[in-house]
Amino acid sequence: MKLLIHDLKSDVFQSAFPSLPEDTKITSNESTIHHCIGCFGCWVKTPSKCSIRDKYGNMGEYLSKCNELIIVSNCRYGGFSPFVKSVLDRSISYVHPYFRFINGEMHHKRRYDNKINLHVHFYGEITEDEKNTANKLVKANSINLDLDSYDVSFYKVTKEMEGIILCK
Amino acid sequence: MQIALINGSPKYKNSASEVILEDLEECLKKNPNIKVTHFSFLKPQIDQKDIKSLFSCNCWVFAFPLYVDGIPSHLLNCMIQLEKYIGAHPNVPKTIHVYGISNSGFHEGKQNIIAIEILKNWCIKSGLIWGQGLGVGAGGMLAGLKKVPLGHGPKKNLGKAFEPFVSNIVHRKSEEIIVTSANFPRLAYKIAAEFGWRKQIKANGLKRKDIFRKCN
Repeated sequence: MKLLIHDLKSDVFQSAFPSLPEDTKITSNESTIHHCIGCFGCWVKTPSKCSIRDKYGNMGEYLSKCNELIIVSNCRYGGFSPFVKSVLDRSISYVHPYFRFINGEMHHKRRYDNKINLHVHFYGEITEDEKNTANKLVKANSINLDLDSYDVSFYKVTKEMEGIILCK
Repeated sequence: MQIALINGSPKYKNSASEVILEDLEECLKKNPNIKVTHFSFLKPQIDQKDIKSLFSCNCWVFAFPLYVDGIPSHLLNCMIQLEKYIGAHPNVPKTIHVYGISNSGFHEGKQNIIAIEILKNWCIKSGLIWGQGLGVGAGGMLAGLKKVPLGHGPKKNLGKAFEPFVSNIVHRKSEEIIVTSANFPRLAYKIAAEFGWRKQIKANGLKRKDIFRKCN
C-alpha cells in the first residue's frame, strides 16, 4: 500500500494529482485533527493505536501496511506544516517505546517489520537555510522510523507539482 | 528586563519543560533587574491577551518537548499565529531576543538540534532576533527530578549548560547552540525508561506482553 499524507486543498490536490495508483491511502486535512498531547497512550494504554479517537487515530496501522510513504507539505521554517506535523506526531504508535542504538544514538525499536521508502515534497517560499533544515529533518525522520530510503523535493508553488511522479 | 518563559508542552502538568523553566527562573531571578512572566502554550492558539503581554517582554524563552524530530504541532500553530501577528502589526518591537530549549526522550541532547533550527528559522522569518538554543537529552527523567537542585546529581550537566545560556539571556547575546544530557549512564537510562513503560502498561490494566501489540 502507498500512504499519501498531504495538506493541499481538495481542488489543488485534484489538479496536481488527478489520478493515483489504486492502492493509495490518502490522509488529508478533511476534518479537524487533534494535536498529540504527549500522553503516550499509544504505547501504554491502547498499544499500537492513538488514544485520541478522531479520524487520525489509526496512523500507526496505516504506516504498518505501507511500503511507500509520500508526504506533500507546505514547508514551515524548514519543517512540516501544522496539519502534516499533527499527523506525524499522532503516528508514533508505529514504533515501539523501547529503545535501541543506531550509530551510537538512541532511537526507538521497531514494532513492525514492513519496509518503507519515504518521499517528501515540500512546497512554498523556502529559504536556503530552511531547505537545509528540511533535508536534515527528513533524514532524521527516516532514521527514527527506521525507513529504508528517503528523498526530498522542493517546489516554489503547488502548480510546479502538477504531473510529477510522487514515488520515484 | 522582562523575560517571557513560554512552556510549549501540551501537558497541563508534570512536563520536563516545566521543570526546565522552573530551574531557569531560579537562575534568572539571581539578577535583580529581571522580571519573569510565565506563558503556557497548551493549545494550537494563543489568547489575544497573552499575545499583547508577550510583546511587552524583551526576551522570549521557549521550552518544549521534541516530537518526531521537530516542534510539537500545537506549538507550531502558535508560532505561525505570532508570525502573522507581527506581519499585521508593523509597530510591534522587533528587538525581542528569542531563546529555545528543546528536550527529548532520547539520551543525546544533539537530537534536538533540528527542532532548535526550526525555531531559529521561524525567529528570522518573523523579524525577531535569534539568541541561542539549548538541546537537552534524557528529558524523560526530568519530570521526576523536580526536587533535585540544578547542578547536582543527574542535573549536573544541565546546571553547567545553564551558566552560559542564562548569561546570554541576561545580556541578550546571540551564541551557537549548546547540547547537554543527564549525568546518568545511557544504558541505565534505557533500562529505567523501559521499566517505566512496563509499569505504566500494568497500571492501565494491561499485561506486559501488550506493549508489543500490533494492529495487523
